[in-house]
Amino acid sequence: MKKSIGTVAAAVTVAVAAALSLSACGGGSAPASSEAKGEINYWLWDANQLPAYQQCASDFTKANPNITVKITQRGWDDYWTTLTNGFVSGTAPDVFTDHLSKYPEFASKKQLLALDDAVAKDGVKLDSYNKGLADLWVGQDGKRYGLPKDWDTVGLFYNKAMTDSAGITAEQMAKLDWNPKDGGSYEKTIAHLTVDKNGKRGDEAGFDKNNVAVYGLGLAGSGSGQGQTEWSFLAATTGWTATDKNPWGTKFNYDDPKFQETIAWWAGLADKGYMPKLETTVGASVADNFGAGKAAINTSGDWMIGQYTGYKGIQTAFAPTPVGPSGKRASMFNGLADSIWAGTKNPAAATKWVEYLGSSACQDVVANKAVVFPAISASSDLAAKAFAAKGVDVSAFTQQVKDGTTFLFPIADKAAKVDGIMKPAMDAVLSGKKPASSLSDANNQVNNLFK
Amino acid sequence: MSTSTNSRHSRESATAVVGSPQSRRPRTKPFNWRRAGAWILVVTAVVVTVAPFLWMLRTALSSNHSLASNAGNLLPADFSWGAFQRVFGLQSPEQAIAEGGSGADINFWLYLRNSIIFATMTTAGQVFFSAMAAYAFSRLRWPGRNKVFAIFLATMMVPPIFTALPNFLMIKNLGLLNTFAGLALPFMFMTPFAIFFLRQFFLSMSREVEEAAMLDGAKHLRIFFQIVIPNAAAPLATLALLTFIGQWNEYFWPLLVGQDESVRVLTVGLGVFKSQSPQGAPDWSGLMAATLVAALPVLILFIAFGKKVVNSIGFSGIK
Repeated sequence: MKKSIGTVAAAVTVAVAAALSLSACGGGSAPASSEAKGEINYWLWDANQLPAYQQCASDFTKANPNITVKITQRGWDDYWTTLTNGFVSGTAPDVFTDHLSKYPEFASKKQLLALDDAVAKDGVKLDSYNKGLADLWVGQDGKRYGLPKDWDTVGLFYNKAMTDSAGITAEQMAKLDWNPKDGGSYEKTIAHLTVDKNGKRGDEAGFDKNNVAVYGLGLAGSGSGQGQTEWSFLAATTGWTATDKNPWGTKFNYDDPKFQETIAWWAGLADKGYMPKLETTVGASVADNFGAGKAAINTSGDWMIGQYTGYKGIQTAFAPTPVGPSGKRASMFNGLADSIWAGTKNPAAATKWVEYLGSSACQDVVANKAVVFPAISASSDLAAKAFAAKGVDVSAFTQQVKDGTTFLFPIADKAAKVDGIMKPAMDAVLSGKKPASSLSDANNQVNNLFK
Repeated sequence: MSTSTNSRHSRESATAVVGSPQSRRPRTKPFNWRRAGAWILVVTAVVVTVAPFLWMLRTALSSNHSLASNAGNLLPADFSWGAFQRVFGLQSPEQAIAEGGSGADINFWLYLRNSIIFATMTTAGQVFFSAMAAYAFSRLRWPGRNKVFAIFLATMMVPPIFTALPNFLMIKNLGLLNTFAGLALPFMFMTPFAIFFLRQFFLSMSREVEEAAMLDGAKHLRIFFQIVIPNAAAPLATLALLTFIGQWNEYFWPLLVGQDESVRVLTVGLGVFKSQSPQGAPDWSGLMAATLVAALPVLILFIAFGKKVVNSIGFSGIK
């Protein structure tokens, strides 16, 4: 049932997107925000951030008594379907939380309002954001389609009790290294943390890889074409990049031997019994498996800190991603932004609200709730302090930004189609049905999309 | 969504227990292997169908943060009413998030009202109009009747996804988005299944009664309302029940058309429990609590009308 709804939803999204391209109503430019009034509809998907933004909305109305903001939260599963549906039917929200993988398509279909004029007239300080974040939201046409709201990096989430009993210290966890040949100390640690039903560790003789009680490394899925939390931080340390240039690359590099070696090594962990098999991830939550004590390390993003630290009886600690062949670590740097729908009936008020969301006044409020890292540098520091006050050391995530070891989320047109090719291709490799070299084929298909 | 299918099975097996042959036999019968086997089968079936509900209840009464680490325990992990409080909107967003729930505002009573209005509108309309159509297909003689009916039946083969987009555009062009009329219209007039179902029953009614009524001067309208409808109470009730449950569980159409809070139905409202951010685990206890509460009205309907349904299916010869 669940699956069929998903399929139906996907089919209708495609259909709606097709209708969109036919009826593309003209996108425009956001006016500078003077004399704005009325009610603004604002959508977001993360319920954990709802209280923070509710607070922002009431502060905003206090400062601008003529404007009220109505916030709607929708789960990620339905968010994009209802949004594209809203574009077509004219019921989309005035302002919404936007994702890097989605906005290129919206922008090219002229559903977003360019913010350049407003940014210029209202004097939005783009350099107050963490380096690179604001640039991500400049589309292929050179126009700005969003103001950054937060950023995220990836790290290792590990079960403190398990590393303690395996005799692995936090210092060791923070200094892991990795290479695609033998996996380095990263693989050794994963192997040592894997325990079979008889209590034998993965690096001991007599380890039974078919009856594993605790996996050294949890598995969320194959990661499709981006592998944000799954493999991107490994592949990037080999010097690999997903596209020829970023953003707006038109040639993908899934045929690069550096990439295929990385994936072959990673998929090999499942063969060795250190990581669950792909089929066991269907319908399961990688985080809940960690919470159930079935995995010692998970690779995940900082937006999941709250979930992982919430599990009762589990002490979760964080370590940065391992150092790779380049001699540095790496983490994908991703960020969300707020965009204005081109069909908004109240562009002036919408612009004012977006500017407020992108200002330190709102981002400090978000920071204090210690859920995500706001886009403004000063607010991020505040968030780190708020996390510390909750007893969570987030240096594993902030260090990447300080050291400049992040690389940007690959932004390209036709993301949905690229995903449609890469998801099954990656699934096939990870489940052992095809060798990593088969990704060259998929790469050809992807590159043909841009010809 | 699939919950009510389960509940349907469980009710059927429950009635199977009631109607089992034991009551007709003398009390002092010697031990019968076949009977014992049948009992074991029935009990297994009941356990299998009821167990998911118990598991839902157990999950609903657990604390979200303890669920993962207590997967094997049959009793609630870290007992808490929090999930039900969340469903009924008795928790502040901060409190809800602290318990691993969604900070979203679930306007439960409003969504419940909307679900009832939506399901009742479509059920009443569909049963009434389908009965009229079935009457035309079974009791009236007109040229090409059976051919038209065959074409009608063929539309049962069209997957709903093909009609979703045209329907949506039509409702949009009529300006009925975010209204109850927009929600109900595509289902309200008829479905081929409903007409087929009622036609089969109407066909089996005796012609004599109808002819006698005609001799007394009754026209079709009167025959339909005074003879056919009263005689078909059981199948009409069955159809109404099935339609109501189907509409109660409908998700996709209300998601497309009923986006506004004022017409959002329960199933769509529950969607927010299911996913919040990619990779984030759902608020399982909240989801289960809400699903249980949402399934209650349908369960009550079954308890009230279950027997009638079984009877009418036996009566009309549709098995």
